Amino acid sequence: MASTVIGAGITIEGDITTDDDIVVQGTVRGKVTAKEGVTIEHGASVEADVTGSSLTVAGALTGNVNANDRVDLQSGSRVIGNVKAARVTIADGAQFKGNVDMDV
Amino acid sequence: MATVGMTATVIGRSARIVGRIAGDGDVEVEGFVEGDIAVTGDVTVAAEGLVGAAVKGRHLVVRGAVKGDLTGDVSVAIEAGARVVGDVRAPRVTIAEGALVRGFVQTSDDELRTEPSRGAHRALPARADARGRSQDAASRPAPPSPPSRASLPKPESAPSAAATPAASQAGAKRSPPPPVVPALKKLRGQVVRKRER
Repeated sequence: MASTVIGAGITIEGDITTDDDIVVQGTVRGKVTAKEGVTIEHGASVEADVTGSSLTVAGALTGNVNANDRVDLQSGSRVIGNVKAARVTIADGAQFKGNVDMDV
Repeated sequence: MATVGMTATVIGRSARIVGRIAGDGDVEVEGFVEGDIAVTGDVTVAAEGLVGAAVKGRHLVVRGAVKGDLTGDVSVAIEAGARVVGDVRAPRVTIAEGALVRGFVQTSDDELRTEPSRGAHRALPARADARGRSQDAASRPAPPSPPSRASLPKPESAPSAAATPAASQAGAKRSPPPPVVPALKKLRGQVVRKRER
């Protein structure tokens, strides 16, 4: 259950913190922190440092990523920033610029 | 680009947002938001929801707690169990029984602008009437009924009416109109108790 959804057309300027997961379809500028998964959907735009257990990106993300578990950059995603996670996948067709750190 | 109402935004129960929420579409707050919410769609503050800033939207529905002004383009509905501290403005405002509201409530913008002048106009005739009625008021033990809010305790009109007619006039001046005038003063200071029948 995605407990927090930032719908398309909505802009949040500030920090988001949650114990559950977050789905972003709109725009977020600031910081995103979740204990569970973070999903940045196609069409979404996030300019924020993202922390969570896992991160899935299909939209645009500018900022550093720190995930406990894994990071998946899907086809069509556009990510600029450093990624730190135990497992990182970058799908064919994903745009990415930044460091990848898979230190556990 | 603007898909209004297509995808609702939900601030989940455990979520905490410190910052602004703006844009098109509906927003439902089940968690905590400390920052303005200004959207073109509807805003719902769920029973567990907590908003610590102003909320603007088309239809606002509050079941949780809001500390800040509520401005609805169309309506504001404050439902049972809601707690609101702040001003409420919308063409249509409903406050359900069981809701707590502290603040200035205003339905429709036009009347808001004429409000101060009306208050002034009301004040003068009210005093004139009060003088006219003061004698009746002094003779009767009736006055306790309007001031029942503030001065229920016994030491009320009896000593003042007996002592000086001026004092009784002053007392009478205050007593019949108070439901209107001091209520407005209180509203300014945001110390308002919404009383429901």
